[in-house]
Amino acid sequence: MSKSSRPHGGTKAGRTKVDEVRQAQRAKERRSRIILVTAVSSVVLLIAGIVAFTVWKDVSGRPTLDAVKTYPVTRDHTTEPVTYAQTPPVGGDHDATWLDCGVYPDPVADELAVHSLEHGAVWVTYRPDLPAEQVDKLEASIPDTYMVLSPFEGLPGPVVASAWGTQLVLTGVDDPRLAEFIRAYRQGPQTPEPGAACTGGSAGDLPPASG
Amino acid sequence: MSLRGVLAAVVGLLVGVLGTLWVTQVRSSPPSDFGADAGFARDMQTHHSQAVEMALLVRDRTDDDEVRTLAYDILTSQQQQAGQMYGWLVQWGLPQTGSRAPMAWVGAAHATDHAGSNEPMPGMATAGELAELQAASGVAAERLFLSLMIDHHTGGVAMAQAAVADARTPEVTSLAAAIAASQASEIELLEQLLDARS
Repeated sequence: MSKSSRPHGGTKAGRTKVDEVRQAQRAKERRSRIILVTAVSSVVLLIAGIVAFTVWKDVSGRPTLDAVKTYPVTRDHTTEPVTYAQTPPVGGDHDATWLDCGVYPDPVADELAVHSLEHGAVWVTYRPDLPAEQVDKLEASIPDTYMVLSPFEGLPGPVVASAWGTQLVLTGVDDPRLAEFIRAYRQGPQTPEPGAACTGGSAGDLPPASG
Repeated sequence: MSLRGVLAAVVGLLVGVLGTLWVTQVRSSPPSDFGADAGFARDMQTHHSQAVEMALLVRDRTDDDEVRTLAYDILTSQQQQAGQMYGWLVQWGLPQTGSRAPMAWVGAAHATDHAGSNEPMPGMATAGELAELQAASGVAAERLFLSLMIDHHTGGVAMAQAAVADARTPEVTSLAAAIAASQASEIELLEQLLDARS
């Protein structure tokens, strides 16, 4: 580019003007750099914040199984009636036949149900005066297999969930800990006989005592 | 290089590194609680257990060798396969009980409107049908077993095909493929036996 073609080229005032323009240009670049960095950092921080909040909300809102109690229990077969230490029983000696998993409208024999717990079932019991629509709700909220549902006299709470050697007293049919308990213990690691059937046993009646 | 250029390069590099890490992490980590692998391992156990139950029932209710042999075949193979599925879940560190409805895993990977979710497990006999089988004997029990088992296998093949399409572990896809093939061919045998008894 020739000197003469540059507007205001040769004069001092012209150079000052050019410097001013360049300075303004640099200031503008600095500003846009700051804006860009701020914008990028804000977006990153915002995303991190959303992720952290989501994780925190998920973790803090999850029902806990802290109230689950565990008990040491025996596991021999017997034809005698058994008095169990827990209500309802969570394990102990039991009949040679197990209870078929499913929904029972009347109380079932403890000696049979305990055998199903040994096979990995979760036994959900409710107070006999629980309204029918709440019983229906309970039935709809549990899996179809490896579950026993039955009324039980003298429960320590409106609904109680039991698995082999373990129990949780629930506040009612809407207690969110029921689903967590079933996830943790239905055919869970506490099962003494994993893979054993919950069908082909007894449909609720104890076989007649032999001898 | 301009600031924008540098930023773009850094961001591009980060995306590349994180993407590679993510892919290798996903490949080597155990299957997710919600995926087709875990869903199939759970639901097919329930499905197989009912086949075992029906096969045991019919063996106690007929002397017919053909049906008793087929029932023996079904109950031993399906009980063993259910055990494999149980073992997978234990190895993956996942509970036997899912946190979603049965069959919610079917088609979830394709995100179509109506696929899978909330539909009952296909081919399962109802409690009433099981009670009928329990009460039947002889040829009536054979016929009922055969027709229930045709439906059961048809549903089983559909579930196995869904797992072949969506599962990502080789143990699941290979067993699911074997189940789809063997049950499909067994349906023909069941139909022949049913025809012979009609």
